[in-house]
Amino acid sequence: MFWRRAAHGRVGFRRSLPELGLLLLATLVLLEGSVLPLGAASSPETGITPGAGVSHGHADKNHSETKHKKPFPVLGLNYDSVKTPFEISLWVLLASLMKLGFHLLPRVSSIVPESCLLIVVGLLVGGGIKLIREEVPPVLDTKLFFYCLLPPIILDAGYFLPIRPFMENLGTILMFAVVGTLWNAFFVGGFLFAVCQIPHASLSHIGLLPCLLFGSIISAVDPVAVLAVFEEIHINELLHILVFGESLLNDAVTVVLYHLFEEFSEAGTVTVLDGFLGVISFLVVALGGVLVGAFYGFVAALTSRFTYHIRVIEPLFVFVYSYMAYLSAEVFHLSGIMALIACGAVMRPYVEANISHKSHTTIKYFLKMWSSVSETLIFIFLGVATVEGPHQWNWVFVTATVILCLVSRVIGVVGLTFVINKFRMVNLTTKDQFIIAYGGLRGAIAFSLGFLLDIEHFKDMREIFLTAIITVVFFTVFVQGMTIKPLVELLAVKKKQEAKRSINEEIHTQFLDHLLTGIEDICGHYGHHHWKDKLNRFNKKYVKGFLIAGERSKEPQLIAFYHKLEMKQAIQLVESGGGSKLPSAMPSTVSMQNIQPKNQPPPPKPTERALPQLTKGREEEIRKILRSNLQRTRQRLHSYNRHTLVADPDEEGFQDIILKKQKMMELDRKIKEMANYLSVPSHPKDSPTMSRARLASGRNTDFIPAQQQKGNKKSPGM
Amino acid sequence: MGSSSSSLNNVPDGQQLMQETGFSAAHLLRLYERFKFLDKDNRGHLRSEDFEAVPELSENPIGDRIVGAFFLPGQETVDFSSFVRVLAHFRPTEKNRTRAGAQPEPANSRNRKLKFAFRLYDRDRDGKISRTELLQVLREMLGMQVTEEQLQSIADRAIQEADLDKDDAISFDEFRKSLEKVNIDHKMSIRFLE
Repeated sequence: MFWRRAAHGRVGFRRSLPELGLLLLATLVLLEGSVLPLGAASSPETGITPGAGVSHGHADKNHSETKHKKPFPVLGLNYDSVKTPFEISLWVLLASLMKLGFHLLPRVSSIVPESCLLIVVGLLVGGGIKLIREEVPPVLDTKLFFYCLLPPIILDAGYFLPIRPFMENLGTILMFAVVGTLWNAFFVGGFLFAVCQIPHASLSHIGLLPCLLFGSIISAVDPVAVLAVFEEIHINELLHILVFGESLLNDAVTVVLYHLFEEFSEAGTVTVLDGFLGVISFLVVALGGVLVGAFYGFVAALTSRFTYHIRVIEPLFVFVYSYMAYLSAEVFHLSGIMALIACGAVMRPYVEANISHKSHTTIKYFLKMWSSVSETLIFIFLGVATVEGPHQWNWVFVTATVILCLVSRVIGVVGLTFVINKFRMVNLTTKDQFIIAYGGLRGAIAFSLGFLLDIEHFKDMREIFLTAIITVVFFTVFVQGMTIKPLVELLAVKKKQEAKRSINEEIHTQFLDHLLTGIEDICGHYGHHHWKDKLNRFNKKYVKGFLIAGERSKEPQLIAFYHKLEMKQAIQLVESGGGSKLPSAMPSTVSMQNIQPKNQPPPPKPTERALPQLTKGREEEIRKILRSNLQRTRQRLHSYNRHTLVADPDEEGFQDIILKKQKMMELDRKIKEMANYLSVPSHPKDSPTMSRARLASGRNTDFIPAQQQKGNKKSPGM
Repeated sequence: MGSSSSSLNNVPDGQQLMQETGFSAAHLLRLYERFKFLDKDNRGHLRSEDFEAVPELSENPIGDRIVGAFFLPGQETVDFSSFVRVLAHFRPTEKNRTRAGAQPEPANSRNRKLKFAFRLYDRDRDGKISRTELLQVLREMLGMQVTEEQLQSIADRAIQEADLDKDDAISFDEFRKSLEKVNIDHKMSIRFLE
C-alpha cells in the first residue's frame, strides 16, 4: 500500500515518507469522518447483511413485489450493521500503522518517546474528526479502557515479571507504592483545598473531600506510561523494577482511596471509624486481589497439566484464566491489577513446564502483540479525548496541581528513601532517587478514573478536574518522558546489562543460596534465605508434583535451565543455516565438523557433512547409550508432534543436533580412552577440543604434534 | 557502653575480634551465645558433631562443605575466634568505609567473600576448580535425580563458558569474572550480622 502511494509522492522514496504518513492519516480521518454520516444516510432497510446487498436485495425484492418492481440492486450499502466492529478495526489499524510509521522515522522516535508521538497523533485525529463532524465520538469509554485496553498490558507485565528482583525489593516497592501514594494523595489534596480557598480563584465550591478525591486520582503512578517510557531508556534492573513495581502495586491504594473518598463525598463527613475501615479495606483489597489471582493461577497451572493432547488451545487457557481473575477481582471491588499480576506470576513456572514450546512462543507473542496495540490505542485515545473535552480551564487550579504533584513526588521519594535505606543492604543513591522521582509518570488510568466521576455529584468540578488531570498527564508524558533519556545519559545512570544468564551464574547462584542458608542455620537466624529455602522445598515436594505433568515435575531447576539454554542454542544453530554452516562462536558444536572416527576413511568435504560416518555396530552402541540419556529431551519434543500440527522441520533439526552432540560426547570419551594407548603423550592436560582437533587432520588420525595442530585446529571463538 | 563491655569480657579475645572483624559488641555477644548453644558439652570449642546437630544443615546439599570451611586445615576443632572469623565474611559490605592502605582487606569485602566461596568449591586448595571438583558440587546439588551424562554436559558447558585460559579448570579470576554481574555484596550478606 505504501508502494502504490509512493507514486503520488513527487520526489524519491525518502522524501515522501512524511508525506506518506500525513496522507495516510488524512485518509483514515476522512474515512472515519465521512463514512459515518454516510452510514446514517444509507438505506433504512434493517436486513442483517454482513456484506454487500445481495440478501438485502432479496428482502427488498420481496417487499417491493407488491408494488412495482424496482431494478434489482446489484450493489447496496449497509454500514450500520458493521459500524462498531468496523470502527474498532479502523482504530486498531490506525494504531498499528502508526507504530509501523514511527519505526520508519528513526530520528524522530529516538528523540521523542513513542507515547508522545501517539498522543500527538490522537490529537490530530481528534482534531480532524472535530473539523469534519463537529463532534468527537467518546472513545475513551471507561468500560472499554478498564475491561479491554488495560488487562493485556498488565498481564504482559505480570507474566514476564522478573520474580527474583521483585521479591528482593518487595519491601522497598511496597513502601513506595503504599506510603508514597498515600502521602501524594493527602499532600496534593490538602494543599489544593488550601489553594481553592484563595478568594479570586473562583474555586471555592470545591470542598475538602472532592479535593482529596482528586488527589487520590492524580497521585498514582501509571504502569502504562512507565512501561512505555522506561522500555526505551534501558536503565538497570533495580530502578526499573522499583518504579514499575510501584506503579503496579499502588493500584490497591488507588482503588481504596478512590472508593473511600467517593463514598464520603456524598456523605459529607469522615469519622475515625471510617478511616479505620479504610485501612482494613485496603488490606482486604490488596490481599484479596492477590489471593484471587493466585487461585486462578493455580487452576490454570493444573489445567495445563492435562493439555498434552490438545496443544493448540494451551495459550487460550493462560489468557482466559488471567482475564477471569481480573474480572472476578473487579466484581468484589478488589484490586484487579494485583489479581492479574499474581495470576501471571503464580502460573508461569508451572505452565511453562507443561506446555509445548510452540505454545510458549504463542503466548509470548500474543501478549506482546495485544499489549503493544493496547498501549498504542490508549495513547491515541488520550489525544482524541483531549480534543473532545469536556474542558474547563482554570489557571490557578491547573498550575497548582502540576506544581504540587512534582513537589510531593520529590519530597515523598526523598523522605521514603531516607527511611528505607536504613533497612536495605544496598542503599539507594541520590541518582537512584532522582530517577525514581522523575519516573513517576501519570497516565490514562488517572484520566479514566476522572471520567468515572459521577456527573451529578461533581457538577461543576468534573470538568476542572479532567482538565487538570489531562494537563498533568501531558506534562509528565511529554516533558518528563522526553527529557528522561538525556538525563539518564547525563547522570550516567547504570544501564541494563544485556547479556543473558550463563550456566555458571546459575550454578554459582544456587550454590551461594545453599551456602547462605547453611550459614543462617548455623547462626540460628531465620532470615531471608531460610524462608526462601523452605518455600522452595515445599514447592518441590508438594506443589510441583501436583501441577506439573509427567517426568518434568522432578526435574531440578538447574537441569531445566540447562535444557532451555541448549534449546536456544540449537534453534539458533538451525536458524542460522542448518547444520552445515556452524558459527564459530559456539564452541561445543564446532568440533562436530571435525570429528572423524578412527577407522573410517575421511568424507570428501568435512564442511558439508554434519554427521560423521559410523559403522553399524558402533551406531547401535551409541544409540543404546543415548536412548536412556535422551529420554527426557525426547519426551518434550514429541509432545507437540502428536496431533494435527505438521511436524516442523525445525524440530527435527533440533533433535538431530541434540543427537549429534551426544554422539560427539560419546565419541570424545572413547577418544580419550584411546589416547591412553598412544605411545607419546602430547600434553599433560588434554582438553576435549585438542583431542578432537587431533582427529581433524583428515588424512590420518594418528598423533600429530601440537605445533602442526595449530594450523588445522578450528578453535572455538571464546 | 559500660554494660556491654563488661559482658564482652566473657568473650575470649573480644576486643581483638571486634577490631579485626568489624562486628559490634552486641553482635559478638549474640554470636558467642550461639557458639555456647552449639557447644553442647561445654568444651569451649566445636567439633563437627556439634555442627551436624543443627537440624536444617543435614538437609542442605552442601552442608558438609560449609561445616568443613569452619575448620582450619588439619584442625579438628573450631574455637570461637575461628567461628567469628568465618562468619565475618558474611557481614554486609560498608560502602563508605575508608581504608588506610596498610590495613588488610576486611573480611567482608567482595573479594574475600568470593574467595571464601571459591574455597568451598576447591577442596584440594590447588587454586583451581577442576572438572572433577565441579562434578562433585553438581552431584551434591542435584542429587540422584540426574544422570551422569547430564552432569557431564552441564560441567562441560560451564567450563567452556568460564575457562578463558583453556586449562579445563576454573581459576579464581575466571570464577570472579563469571560472577561479575551478580551482586555479591547483596547475595553473600546476612543482615543479621550487620
